[in-house]
Amino acid sequence: MSTELDVFVGNTTVLDEDVYQLWLDGHTVSDAVRIRMEAGALQECEANAEILHSDTMDQFRTFQMCERLLQSPSKVANQLLFQIPPHHQTMLIERYYEFDSVFAREVLGKKLSKGTKKDLDDISSKTGIALKCCRRQFDNFKHVFKVVEELKGPLVENIQRHFLLSDVLARDYAAIVFFANSRFETGKRKLQYLSFQDFAFCAGQLISYWTVGAVDNMMEDLNVDLEKEFLHDLKDLKVLVNDKDMLDQHKSLVCAQLRGKIKVFSEMEASFKNLSRALVNIASKLTHTKDFRDLFIDLVEKFVEPCRSDKWTIGDLRLFLKHYSSSVRMLEAFRHQVIWDRYMGVIQSCILKMYHD
Amino acid sequence: MECVPPCSDRPGFGEETPGVPLSSGPPTPLRAQTFSSFSPSKSYSRQSSSSDTELSLTPKTGMGSGGSAGKEAGPLKVFLRQQTQSALEQREYPFFTLTAFPPGFLLHVGGVVSARSVKLLDRIHNPALGNNTRSYKLLDWNSFTADEPETRDAWWEEIRQEIKSHAKALGCHAVVGYSESTSICEEVCILSASGTAAILSSRFMQDGPLDVEHRFEEVVSPGCGFCHIPYDELNIPFPAQLTYCYCCRRYKVPDVLFTTIDLPTEANVTGKGCLIQARLCRTKKKAQGEGNATAISNLLPFLEYELHTQLMNKLKLRGMNALFGLRIQISVGETMLLGLASATGVYLTALPSPGGIQITGKTPSDITYEQHISNMQKKINDTITKNKELYEINPPEVVEEIIGSPIPEPRQRSRLFRSHSESSDEVSELDLSHGKKDAFVLEIDDTDAVEDIHALLTDFSIPAGFYSCNTEIMPGIQNWTSAIQMFTSVRVFRLNTNLTNQGLNKIFSDLCENLLKSLYFKLRSMVPCCLCHLNFTVAIPEDELIQVAVTAVAMSFDKEQTLENGKQSGEKTLIKAITDEQLQFSLELNAETSSPNPLSSPKGLSDVGSHPSARASSVDYSSFADRCSSWIEQLKLKAHTIRRGSVKTTSSMEKASPLPEGRSRSLRSNRSYSGSSVAVVKMTPLSFIPGAKIIKYLGIINMFFIRETTSLREEGGVSGFLHTFIAEVFAMVRAHVAALGGNAVVSYSMKECVFMENPNKNQAQCLINVSGDAVIFVRESELELTSVQPQSATTQTSNGGEGT
Repeated sequence: MSTELDVFVGNTTVLDEDVYQLWLDGHTVSDAVRIRMEAGALQECEANAEILHSDTMDQFRTFQMCERLLQSPSKVANQLLFQIPPHHQTMLIERYYEFDSVFAREVLGKKLSKGTKKDLDDISSKTGIALKCCRRQFDNFKHVFKVVEELKGPLVENIQRHFLLSDVLARDYAAIVFFANSRFETGKRKLQYLSFQDFAFCAGQLISYWTVGAVDNMMEDLNVDLEKEFLHDLKDLKVLVNDKDMLDQHKSLVCAQLRGKIKVFSEMEASFKNLSRALVNIASKLTHTKDFRDLFIDLVEKFVEPCRSDKWTIGDLRLFLKHYSSSVRMLEAFRHQVIWDRYMGVIQSCILKMYHD
Repeated sequence: MECVPPCSDRPGFGEETPGVPLSSGPPTPLRAQTFSSFSPSKSYSRQSSSSDTELSLTPKTGMGSGGSAGKEAGPLKVFLRQQTQSALEQREYPFFTLTAFPPGFLLHVGGVVSARSVKLLDRIHNPALGNNTRSYKLLDWNSFTADEPETRDAWWEEIRQEIKSHAKALGCHAVVGYSESTSICEEVCILSASGTAAILSSRFMQDGPLDVEHRFEEVVSPGCGFCHIPYDELNIPFPAQLTYCYCCRRYKVPDVLFTTIDLPTEANVTGKGCLIQARLCRTKKKAQGEGNATAISNLLPFLEYELHTQLMNKLKLRGMNALFGLRIQISVGETMLLGLASATGVYLTALPSPGGIQITGKTPSDITYEQHISNMQKKINDTITKNKELYEINPPEVVEEIIGSPIPEPRQRSRLFRSHSESSDEVSELDLSHGKKDAFVLEIDDTDAVEDIHALLTDFSIPAGFYSCNTEIMPGIQNWTSAIQMFTSVRVFRLNTNLTNQGLNKIFSDLCENLLKSLYFKLRSMVPCCLCHLNFTVAIPEDELIQVAVTAVAMSFDKEQTLENGKQSGEKTLIKAITDEQLQFSLELNAETSSPNPLSSPKGLSDVGSHPSARASSVDYSSFADRCSSWIEQLKLKAHTIRRGSVKTTSSMEKASPLPEGRSRSLRSNRSYSGSSVAVVKMTPLSFIPGAKIIKYLGIINMFFIRETTSLREEGGVSGFLHTFIAEVFAMVRAHVAALGGNAVVSYSMKECVFMENPNKNQAQCLINVSGDAVIFVRESELELTSVQPQSATTQTSNGGEGT
């Protein structure tokens, strides 16, 4: 004796947000029923396990049928099959594209290809996120990447327009696309302490200030490539460390500003030249793809770690960077003020974001 | 799909016993003789076991009229009837398939009349089809021979005549809420018809142009009129307990009233109503041809009797005294018969309060048994008290003694017996004078009965915040919000073999109960809400399979105002409904295609209604213009405006315009918004949309879909397949309506859902037939907006119309 067939179809598609989340999380029907029971679903409406199972099955089936549409969200509003109220449409799309930052952190900077897809098993067991869920998130990344790759105009807006996502989520996706496109090294052990949000912030900074789109937003193709000319110009900054006078002058200017204001003054004074050299070297090497990909690891190894070992506080660091970057204006021989500001603006905020345990 | 599949040249089975239509109209043993041609010994043995008192009790519900066809009612009623006779006598069958009527139309309601007949469809001798009995059922639709439609007509003729005579026996001249249905399995076909005997107001029956407004004006309808008995109390066609009406105290009313129609809007109801279902499953031996037909015929009266018993018990258990929208479905399978009766129980203020249910045991000597009985009795009493609270049934107490009856009726007890009861003689010895009210006695004489009563009690109570009914609206709930959710749910259950009747019953009952529970759970976010027009359809698609399909609409309502608004807003809704109907034919179209006399259509069945909306809709649907999209309509209206001049047309524009300001604005804004071009189309099985006014009827939607898959597993199994299919059916209906310029479907129903599968071959097929009326509605709030400045609104409207 068994129920052979059991369906429920509403003219307005009936959606339960909690069940949707369970589905997104990649649970099986029986798992989902168990979780719902533990969450106290049986108290509602005199339900029993059978009803809960039937309801969960129905919902899962509905979501499965919707999935095809969710993969191109603009269709959700235009399809005829499901009559879904607008607020539910938004919810469906937003939740479908939401991802676990732990997962995103793992995939960040990797090529969104079949090869990576095979690693999902490992990622799944490492993060504790169901494989099904990992797949969905990975496919979303790949899908978004593919779509915006060929579009002109600002990245975030493109994502928003094509995937109808909220601003926050669109920015996160922009970061993922940016990392996947630039293939930054993020997997090194020394970078493990950085969260997805740290990287997403940095990506946002880079996109806003260093990319082609930042200058001219009507460029062809994906405008998240960094502006070549700018990277080339960065070589000119070398003068700051190569010119001995300029380096000394710079140092004394910064020291004069910071004296008595930071606790680690002596350490700062001792390591100034190393730190300055590190930052300028990073800048000058960005034209090389290899070095460019190592941007974050370089920042951590050559700047963040020395500071951390000297026990700089975040406040100290902020003050230092502020004066380090502004003092350059007082160097009369320095002629690359604009480039410097553009470079340091981004580097400064990235370092500050990355400076934690 | 009420057609009967063809049979060969041989006459139908029923015709071999001329003059004995195989009806089992009322579930009364009186009718048992009807079946004597099949199995005389059996039916007579049953009758012989019945005492006189027993006989006298069963039909008192007014369900069925007994076989006393043609018995004349008293002179008073004759006079009443004569008024309308002239109009109705023109009709071969004064049957109305409508279930709702304008107030005052129903003068009296007699009760449910029903007739059934088992017919044998002879097999087409086609060897290719001989092996696969299932496909033969579908395929031979194409192989009609010339004389077969006549044969089938004759079958229905018999049944309709019987219905007519039942109605007459109840002193009624018309049947309302009439419907016919068939259930086919192999060569056997059960034809069923049922309706509600009634006396109609002569005012509405006059020929000539329908002056609707005028007629409604003179209506003064007391809320109890229709409850008054139409038959002569001195010459009642069946024994019944009559009392003076609890409202007007002038006329007699029965103690229980069963009807197939919707609750009349003018009815006085105490408290809320609820869905009441009787479910029954009976096993049957596999048989062929005549033997099979005989077996089914023998089972039918018992089945109906039991269903009736269940309905009565459940009604009383809820402390109610009337059923509306009663629909009894009998499905026949190879090894079983399935009966499902659904109705909405209410407490009619005009009718007496129902007595309790009293249980008596067969073997009073046994102490533990007595204990058990008294426990159950207590449970039952508790349930009744609880239900009365739940459904807010607190009728004013009435002292019964002052009501004198011209016939000194003995203080009869209404008793209900198990059909298998063989020991009813003992009952009279028991002391039944328990309490002052007449109790309903349940005798427990076998384990079946214990189970049944147990089942009665374990019928789960409806979750808080929910109401349910199978009629259009629930009495006592008026202030609907605009949130409606129409849905279809289908379940197929596979049975084990070798089940006993009890086991089968329990499974079937649980299946329905669980389905209902599931619905409540699914729709819990809409609380407080009412599931309206719950329409169950059962089928036995294969041996050991039971299929139940439900279509209904969940409508939210505002709890706070429920009590205050009460009757008044009910009246308001009513008036609104009438104006809506007027609009349906107030357009110019009416003049173009005026049908001279609504009552003059040659064939009686589908056009029997002379009620304005029935005529108008038939006009509307056939009209070509109405198939055009709304903007064409707009152009037409504009043209009329130019031709005719301002004042009158302005008002007609207001009424008829498919796109008043509010809506056209919203349409435009929709379009500009991010490319969403899909218009929302509401669907409901009801005739109205809460909080909205239907401004235009665009015609009937009647669509058949057949879907087949050869990759069942890949599509998510049978559930996945059907889920997708039903969702697509909805989508296609919506798209169709949207294409006609409409924004809603009313009176939606899924008339057919035939599902077949062959999992081994990874295949499944499904046929679905849905129908409804495409309409344009406007929210009342928007309507008010436009009516504030009618002139400007009209201009803008036409502009808006052009724009679209």
